[in-house]
Amino acid sequence: MSRAARAFIHQFRLAAQIFVGVLHEIFDEAAYSRFLLRNHTTSSRESYSEFRRENELAKARRPRCC
Amino acid sequence: MSKIIRTMVWLATAALGALALATIALHRGEQINAMWLVVAALCSYALGYRFYSKFISAKVLALDRSRATPAERLENGRDFVPTNKWVVFGHHFAAIAGPGPLVGPVLAAQFGYLPGTLWILAGAVFGGCVQDFVILLFSVRRDGKSLTEMARDEIGPVGGLVAYVSVIGIMVILLGVCALVVVNALKSSPWGTFTIAMTIPIALLMGWYLRSLRPGKVLESSALGFVLVMLAIWGGQVVSQNPSMARWFTFTAPALAIVIILYGFAASALPVWLLLAPRDYLSTFVKLGTIGLLAVGILALRPTLHMPPLTRFLDGSGPVFAGNIFPFAFITIACGAISGFHSLIASGTTPKLIRRETETRMVGYGAMLAESMVAIMAMIAACTLQPGVYFSINSPAGIVGQTPEVATMAISGWGFPVSSAEMHALTQAVGEQTLFNRTGGAPAFAVGMAQIFSNSLGGHAFMALWYHFAIMFEALFILTVLDAGTRVGRFMLQDALGHVWKPLGRTSWYPSILLTSAIIVAAWGYFLWQGVKDPLGGINSLWPLFGISNQLLATVALCVATTIIIKSGKSRYAAVTFVPLAWLVAITFSASWYKIFSPNPRIGFLSHARQLAASSSNARLIFNDRLDAAVTAALILMVTLIVIESAMEWFRVVSGRKIGIMKESPFVATQFTIEERG
Repeated sequence: MSRAARAFIHQFRLAAQIFVGVLHEIFDEAAYSRFLLRNHTTSSRESYSEFRRENELAKARRPRCC
Repeated sequence: MSKIIRTMVWLATAALGALALATIALHRGEQINAMWLVVAALCSYALGYRFYSKFISAKVLALDRSRATPAERLENGRDFVPTNKWVVFGHHFAAIAGPGPLVGPVLAAQFGYLPGTLWILAGAVFGGCVQDFVILLFSVRRDGKSLTEMARDEIGPVGGLVAYVSVIGIMVILLGVCALVVVNALKSSPWGTFTIAMTIPIALLMGWYLRSLRPGKVLESSALGFVLVMLAIWGGQVVSQNPSMARWFTFTAPALAIVIILYGFAASALPVWLLLAPRDYLSTFVKLGTIGLLAVGILALRPTLHMPPLTRFLDGSGPVFAGNIFPFAFITIACGAISGFHSLIASGTTPKLIRRETETRMVGYGAMLAESMVAIMAMIAACTLQPGVYFSINSPAGIVGQTPEVATMAISGWGFPVSSAEMHALTQAVGEQTLFNRTGGAPAFAVGMAQIFSNSLGGHAFMALWYHFAIMFEALFILTVLDAGTRVGRFMLQDALGHVWKPLGRTSWYPSILLTSAIIVAAWGYFLWQGVKDPLGGINSLWPLFGISNQLLATVALCVATTIIIKSGKSRYAAVTFVPLAWLVAITFSASWYKIFSPNPRIGFLSHARQLAASSSNARLIFNDRLDAAVTAALILMVTLIVIESAMEWFRVVSGRKIGIMKESPFVATQFTIEERG
């Protein structure tokens, strides 16, 4: 594989990673991962319920733009 | 790249942009391709970002890469989290992109494509992007403080109070107008209503998937929800073609208004998060996907604009809304050019995620450019319609008449030929009962979008599916704004009432929840009801009111920004925020004056009330006009107060009578640089 092709694949992978990262952040998956890390726990029904309880009030106060 | 090549590239960009702008501005009598608008926009944005935002970063704000942001200093893994700049960009864009940049340009297209397009480009590059950028940076330098807190700290108590009242005011008017857009899009439409109704069981299923099956996998559940919504759109066709089933999902405008008011109250007062949270995710998923799809559709199809650059309605006699090009074009397009609401987002979640000060440029200025591009796409979608079709959809029955024959004759008489047979064929193609008198912008946008999509994907047979996809997207999107806005309004009211009587401030005390939810819903519900009952379609009086209130909030934000720039000893650069501020003051004052005092009953609230009184009309309609005049007057009074208080503060600082002391957080050096070097 030529150097240019490798560089292109590298850039493409980077862009895809960022895109997925953006989606994780927008859809609160990143926030859930941080919650699990902060509480030294693993994903489960109970953990997710706890996360939602913690997250809901902050989210409810966040305005949605017109 | 060498300096010479770079210079050549930027000169070529400027030349191409100038050519595109000249083409859209100077072509008369022949149709142009939509790509000229896209090229003009991309070149203007590139130049604005590269040169103007860089100038602001370096000279006005002096962005400091070595200064630690609150995300670093106060990192808690919850609100304050240093985040990759592209991720923050996407997050910020998803938060600021709402229905406004889609609806405003569609309504303003009644002037032709030129005025709206020029305002979107100039307004964004010199106004909206600057506002979002500076407010984001100033919030970052103040530990992520809100606009209201910054107004109180930097301007004074009046500034803080006006900012607070403005936020509540704009929220109420915004929610009323948004609800009206949904009502006008779904009335007499069993297909659209069925699809939206189906999002409720779909959201509940998503909620179950999220909680029980795959905890936390929001993207998966949203993708599943999206597939189910597409099936619901297909199912809507079956329902609409079956008279006995269609009857269950056919609502009049007042009936839909009541349903939406009850929905808003339930969303705010009841613990229905199981429904709302998954639907919020689904709405975001559909929103981002549709915006991307529309961009691809426009690039693939490169449609021709059928709307002329300028129409005869520059004189203020437009059927969509009445009023001259100045100031009404600038009030109608708020989001997409400059939106005060963005300052709430830029001083909300986003500043707590910024990793480095220098990234505020890309996030604040850059995301607003992306939003402006969405507005350009909406303008294209509206202007690809034949003008006769556009005016048939957007003109209220009170202006063009009740029957298709009378309406098409009136519109053809304006020089925009359209026949009732043509409209009937289009109505059949999109699977609706009627496309006449569908004011509010959403149906016209949906027809334009369906034409673009069906010409590039699926052919004419898919027109009805694409139309209802667009309607579902807009309605879902707006209902999310509606339930989130009602809750935010309720919390703000509880915060305020808590100063009067402590229990009312407790967000978990049910009597307080019920009372404040009822107050907020009654406030926006009143505007919605007024719009539904308005013989002129409601949009004529309510959309300008929304535009004025949104620009008022932008005035507050730019007053805060100008004050901080002057206090920081950079008075010579204050024009960066002062010029857009002066423009906004000019348009909000003029628009308010016209809306209250214009002798033309289609524009002035008071003259309309007098006309109704003279014809012994319904007392309720007369009261509504007077109420709208009072609300407009209150808004303008608030602008006056904050401008005067800010100007006095500027005078005191510039004349040396007061030392400009800012409430910035003290400088702390970032550790990221050391970590990166190490």
